Amino acid sequence: MKLLLLIFIVQAVLQTIYLPASQGAVQPVAVRLIERTCKQTPLYNVCVSILKSDSRSSKADVTRLALIMVDALKAKATGTMNYIKTLLRGNLKGDVRRGLSSCADLYNAVLEADVPVAIEALQKGDPKFAEQAANDAGIEAKSCESSFSGYSPLTKSNKSLQDVSAVAAAIVKLLL
Amino acid sequence: MGTKPSHTGISTTASDLEHAAYSPLPGHSSPASPRRPLKGFAGIISSCIFLLALVALILDQSQEPSHKPGKDEAPALTPKATSFSNISGPVARGVAQGVSAKSSPSFSGNELSYNWTNAMFSWQRTAFHFQPQRNWMNDPDGPLYHEGWYHLFYQYNPDSAVWGNITWGHAVSVDLIHWLYLPIAMFPDSWFDWNGVWTGSATILPGGQIVILYTGDTDNYVQVQNLAYPANLSDPLLLDWVKYPGNPVLVPPTGILPKDFRDPTTGWLGPDGKWRITVGSKVNGTGISLVYTTTNFTDYELLDNVLHAVPGTGMWECVDFYPVSINGTKGLDTSAGGPGVKHVLKASLDNTKLDYYALGTYFAENDTWVPDDPEQDVGIGLRYDYGRYYASKTFFDPVKERRILWGWINETDTANDDLAKGWSSLQTIPRTVLYDNNTGTNILQWPVEEVESLRLNSTDFDGVVVEPGSVVELDIGTATQLDILAEFEIESLGLEETNEVNGLCGSGATDRSSFGPFGLLVIADETLSELTPIYFRLANSSDGSLETYFCTDERRSSMASGVFKQVYGSTVPVLDGETLSMRILVDHSIVESFAQGGRRVISSRIYPTEAIYGAARLFLFNNATGVNVKATLKIWQMNSAFIHPFPLDQIH
Repeated sequence: MKLLLLIFIVQAVLQTIYLPASQGAVQPVAVRLIERTCKQTPLYNVCVSILKSDSRSSKADVTRLALIMVDALKAKATGTMNYIKTLLRGNLKGDVRRGLSSCADLYNAVLEADVPVAIEALQKGDPKFAEQAANDAGIEAKSCESSFSGYSPLTKSNKSLQDVSAVAAAIVKLLL
Repeated sequence: MGTKPSHTGISTTASDLEHAAYSPLPGHSSPASPRRPLKGFAGIISSCIFLLALVALILDQSQEPSHKPGKDEAPALTPKATSFSNISGPVARGVAQGVSAKSSPSFSGNELSYNWTNAMFSWQRTAFHFQPQRNWMNDPDGPLYHEGWYHLFYQYNPDSAVWGNITWGHAVSVDLIHWLYLPIAMFPDSWFDWNGVWTGSATILPGGQIVILYTGDTDNYVQVQNLAYPANLSDPLLLDWVKYPGNPVLVPPTGILPKDFRDPTTGWLGPDGKWRITVGSKVNGTGISLVYTTTNFTDYELLDNVLHAVPGTGMWECVDFYPVSINGTKGLDTSAGGPGVKHVLKASLDNTKLDYYALGTYFAENDTWVPDDPEQDVGIGLRYDYGRYYASKTFFDPVKERRILWGWINETDTANDDLAKGWSSLQTIPRTVLYDNNTGTNILQWPVEEVESLRLNSTDFDGVVVEPGSVVELDIGTATQLDILAEFEIESLGLEETNEVNGLCGSGATDRSSFGPFGLLVIADETLSELTPIYFRLANSSDGSLETYFCTDERRSSMASGVFKQVYGSTVPVLDGETLSMRILVDHSIVESFAQGGRRVISSRIYPTEAIYGAARLFLFNNATGVNVKATLKIWQMNSAFIHPFPLDQIH
């Protein structure tokens, strides 16, 4: 009986320790690293929100946090690219269509150049190229927004990408 | 090539974030409009206003477009009455202080992003600067001279116009100007350089053997140093290279992280007959230069002391270490030393993307180096180049006894532009390096004399007077490939002095003061909608002495958004009795500017949309308020260097 009780208590304690990790919440040590890192970026809340919701950040060093942020950049750019393609299938005014076509090129550069360069540079240990690539992604998004002379259907997406790219560049800068 | 070894690396698979912070869909809510009691009346009023507006619009559209100057304008020197600072054009809201090369491009916010044409992109390719036919290049590697040929290797991506998949590209020239492309010298085909054949240097041993030390990024992402040597030393083209089977010859030592160990230098001999090399690194934010001794380039001993260290400078990349003669007329072999010799230590700072150097004394007995002026130490003092410039490296030319400096000039446009035009990056024209024994505080850089073989016809201008606030066109024909020598004299107008200057170069050439800015406008179009000023500005410093600033202002270099538009520059020493002088090499999208015989240099990248091909012009300008400027110039048209592939099929 006592043995069963002991087993139960031990099991409960172990579950309390490990259940949060298995559900994707981040351990205290990792949380401190995330907060310390994010304080050195221009958008603390964006940074923390993205890193804390990625389970890989629980076992991260700054390089890995940078890679997580680049992955977030990739996900956003992919989402926006898909949205652009969807919009282009519709019936659009000439200048909006032109703007979206430019944006398709610009977001293609983010996905085909900036993201792979950033990942490669971080993995291989020449982070300055990752910083340049992260900054460039923000510039491409800004150029996309400037592609529309009037209404832009991508204002929020472009702003979001610029935010994440600024955060990613700032994290990479910590490695330099 | 073998199959790629498996490695434990960081997962590259994208993970779709389920809790994205921002929704990709645009918000689109329109506020409810208040109900109007006199709806009908308001409807009539607004219809009238709409009709009137429509009429006004139609009338406006039918007016002629603004007059553009015709081609047969007034001859060569017509001082235009136009005030320089009133010339319209988009003024980018850039960085006010403007000497950092790292700031992001400036957008005025109202500019539409630019639609580049193929003609614009083609124009950007240079005529006489080294660049591969296509794709990405970065650091120059292992420059050397062998059996009649100068060799240049370079970090090269054969697959794309952005960094990655790095190999050693290769080219040769008999004169450092007319380059011939050769096949890639080294691929990342061994475990010890699987993830990159990175930067390295060549050492020529007595007897002529060549050894190259280069950084390899291993299959486990560790930075190591590897040895390579020519497969056939009697091949003047050095086409094939052998990687030492026992590689790597150096791995990160204790206390050095596996990603902070790269770019080994050329070796030099010590008094004990052993070779030394140095490798840059960092410890806790202090940039350091590790020293190794070797007798055979395969076995090394790490010295306890570093060659030098400077706190707060971060990772030292592309370290370079070489002697200069203080009676400087010739360059020195890397092993030279003794009295009458100073040593230059240089590092590329990873965290600022800037190349710094310092003059100092090398103590061969204990392999340490001490700067002449600790306040001008490596990383905090002088830079080789105050523009877009990085990863430089020197070598000794034994033929003409010169120390020659290469530097990588990155693009300052976007990755999208580079992908579209299919290439990225240039090397500078190689420069000779000499100690400046007039100032004793800096080196002098000057384009190698062989560049002068590209000079075609020249035009002289003697004593052209440019009044305050005016611009003078110099009629020299096409203005995209030029070698310009200019001297300036100023003549005070006795007016009250205004000397407000923001920072070193102000916020550019429209920042007027008594004694400047004045200089040249390169790659400018007729209407000055695009222009790049290169100028001097004199100002009284706080202690009453006169300081001279030398600057380049890219803010109006192009109407395109998305390209960097920096103001670059520095103070330049001007000694008593010296005239203000500058030399400028204009070559399409690169401008290299040298002040006072090469005391300060600025390399600039520009991407005009209007001032291209036949539309590009050259002007003198004087935006000072209190002085006339008298300019004397000699300007050459420059031929292309016709850089092309080596005709290898003709020698087999």
